[in-house]
Amino acid sequence: MTKDKALEELFLAQKPHFSDHADFMAALTKRMDAVEYLKQHQEATIRRYKILMVVAFVVGIVSGGVAIGYVLSTPADVPLFTFQVQTGILLWLSENSRILAATSLSLLLTLGIISIISNIQDIQRMRVCLKA
Amino acid sequence: MTREVFIAYIEREQEALRGFLLALCCGKKDDADDLAQDALVKAYLSSAGYQDKGKFRSWLFKIAYNTFLNHKASIRCTESIDEARALISSTAADSSFEHQDLYLALRTLPPKERSAITLFYLNGYNTKEIATITDTSEDAVKKQLSRGRDKLKEKLKL
Repeated sequence: MTKDKALEELFLAQKPHFSDHADFMAALTKRMDAVEYLKQHQEATIRRYKILMVVAFVVGIVSGGVAIGYVLSTPADVPLFTFQVQTGILLWLSENSRILAATSLSLLLTLGIISIISNIQDIQRMRVCLKA
Repeated sequence: MTREVFIAYIEREQEALRGFLLALCCGKKDDADDLAQDALVKAYLSSAGYQDKGKFRSWLFKIAYNTFLNHKASIRCTESIDEARALISSTAADSSFEHQDLYLALRTLPPKERSAITLFYLNGYNTKEIATITDTSEDAVKKQLSRGRDKLKEKLKL
């Protein structure tokens, strides 16, 4: 496509020149410093989040293992816990204590796993946001 | 790209970038400089993914163009040159710029035509390069240039 001579001359004659080059670069450097600070802060947050997740994971595994070990180490024919008062619901609870304890532990472990997966997804999202 | 390399590139390119944005903002220097700063921060953040193929300026202009388009909703577009003149003369800061007639005429163009015209006449890009920067087809750029040129010539009485 050919250029219109008159327009080209007009644009070239009116090409802007800036005398505040140093001020512009100083302002830009300031902004870049601020962005850098925010970026470092976000990275530190992600690092802390990761450490917390690992700690939660280890604590969950250890306490889950201890609880299951305790359940398995008690005699099978003796209830895991008993209530001194013999009302209907408490009697039923103590009779089914082993099943109830196993169910509760399974639920806790499941919730723990779901929470870990959700944390991993959060971290991945934060990383994507940081890259963008 | 390290921060030092990025700053060295910007030292070299900032005048062309600011000139481009000044034309897009129709001579409003403060707006143009704000957009330039925003665009450069965006460029800095994505500079890790930049692959040096000797087209740093085009890459920078593309970011600046997109930044301008994102901000264009807040930039009032005026339809007539008289309206634009009235708007500009109403503010002391804006009345101080040198090339009013050209900027006033540019103000009447839609942002895409204004960008194409500026890149073509002020920055010397060809239609293919403009198509890459503005993310459109070469034919669309040619149409924008043709329409923009006719409107500018009419407004400037060339």
